Amino acid sequence: MNYLTNRAKAKKVLISLGLILVFAQIFAGEGLAQKRKAAPKSAKRQIVTKKPKPTAVSLQNSNLPKVTQINEVALRKLLKREDANAKPLLVNFWATWCDPCREEFPDLVKLDADYKGKIDLITISLDELSEINGDVPKFLAEMKAEMPSYLLKTPSEETAIASVSKSWQGGLPFTILFDGQGKTVYFIQGKFKTELLRAEIEKLFNINSAPEVKLNRK
Amino acid sequence: MKQKSILLVAILALVTFFMSSHASSAKDDFAVGSTLDNFKLSDTNGKEQSLNDLKGKNGAILVFLSVQCPVVKGYDERIVKLAADYKAKGINVIGINSNATEALDKVKTHHAANYKFPVLIDKNNVLADKFGATVTPEMYYFNAKNVLTYHGAIDNDRSGKNVTTDYLRTALDEALSGKAVTKATANAFGCSIKRVEK
Repeated sequence: MNYLTNRAKAKKVLISLGLILVFAQIFAGEGLAQKRKAAPKSAKRQIVTKKPKPTAVSLQNSNLPKVTQINEVALRKLLKREDANAKPLLVNFWATWCDPCREEFPDLVKLDADYKGKIDLITISLDELSEINGDVPKFLAEMKAEMPSYLLKTPSEETAIASVSKSWQGGLPFTILFDGQGKTVYFIQGKFKTELLRAEIEKLFNINSAPEVKLNRK
Repeated sequence: MKQKSILLVAILALVTFFMSSHASSAKDDFAVGSTLDNFKLSDTNGKEQSLNDLKGKNGAILVFLSVQCPVVKGYDERIVKLAADYKAKGINVIGINSNATEALDKVKTHHAANYKFPVLIDKNNVLADKFGATVTPEMYYFNAKNVLTYHGAIDNDRSGKNVTTDYLRTALDEALSGKAVTKATANAFGCSIKRVEK
């Protein structure tokens, strides 16, 4: 009897696993199709190689996201959380020439959409200043990035790096999360893992909501 | 069933955590003042080379390089000049390529086109892990006794147009004249070393 029950259970588990696999394949296929749709090679070609008419160029440039040039002083000011009601701040340092930076950018855009109004998210490019109206905004437009974007121009990268975090060893990408008080709660040099970063952001809200939970229990 | 699912999720979370923290947790245990034991790595021709054979009478500068990194490209001219200037002073430059994503033939071609000094292949980024090296270009100067005397950036400006502080050259000159190195570390800025997934 037990044997029969166990067999029935095993059958159920196998059927469930099979269904999960089928659904996962369907969704993965869709995801891939969407990715292809979102970043087609032709779009890149349109931006990079297709030579539009002069009027189209100015129209295209005016539609590109604004990238603000900052120096070390402005950078330090940006990272400060002085307001008592300041939101957590997620900062991503990147460059157009950095492949891992480009690879993780869609996830950053998604995080920005998901946590809009809950956290501040900014990106700081370390491209050459000559790209402030070129490759940097073009890439941001391609990514449909809406977060505030900056380009850091500094006479000393070493000093700038040290002013952001003592743990930053100078490699790109570098992503750092500050809580509302400006305390570093998470950082990673190299590509971030979205779920891990998301969990770190969520932790901040859990901490903030902890006293309310206690009050409700009383 | 529920318990098994929770266990599976927990295992997955742990694996993800360890994989992602690997690169950033390569701690700087190998600090200035540490002594490097002799090591052997293959060069771009597959010939095994050792630190003690390649270093000069006043030591060696190990530079982590990359074929694709634009920051390395920006520094190439200065690295080549540095190698020539200090070879005459008994310090030899040794290139290290630890990028798992860069194929040997490309490293070999790039090496032949750009550098006169040897470039060693750090398979599985063993040396990069030992040093805690994370970017390219990143410099390590070991003196004649293989003691790490300087670690970090070449200078303060990757473009080379506004160099005001030559961190590495200053450290080398101080060490060569028997003085204490005033600035023994400076954060190197560049491309992350692409490590093998372990």
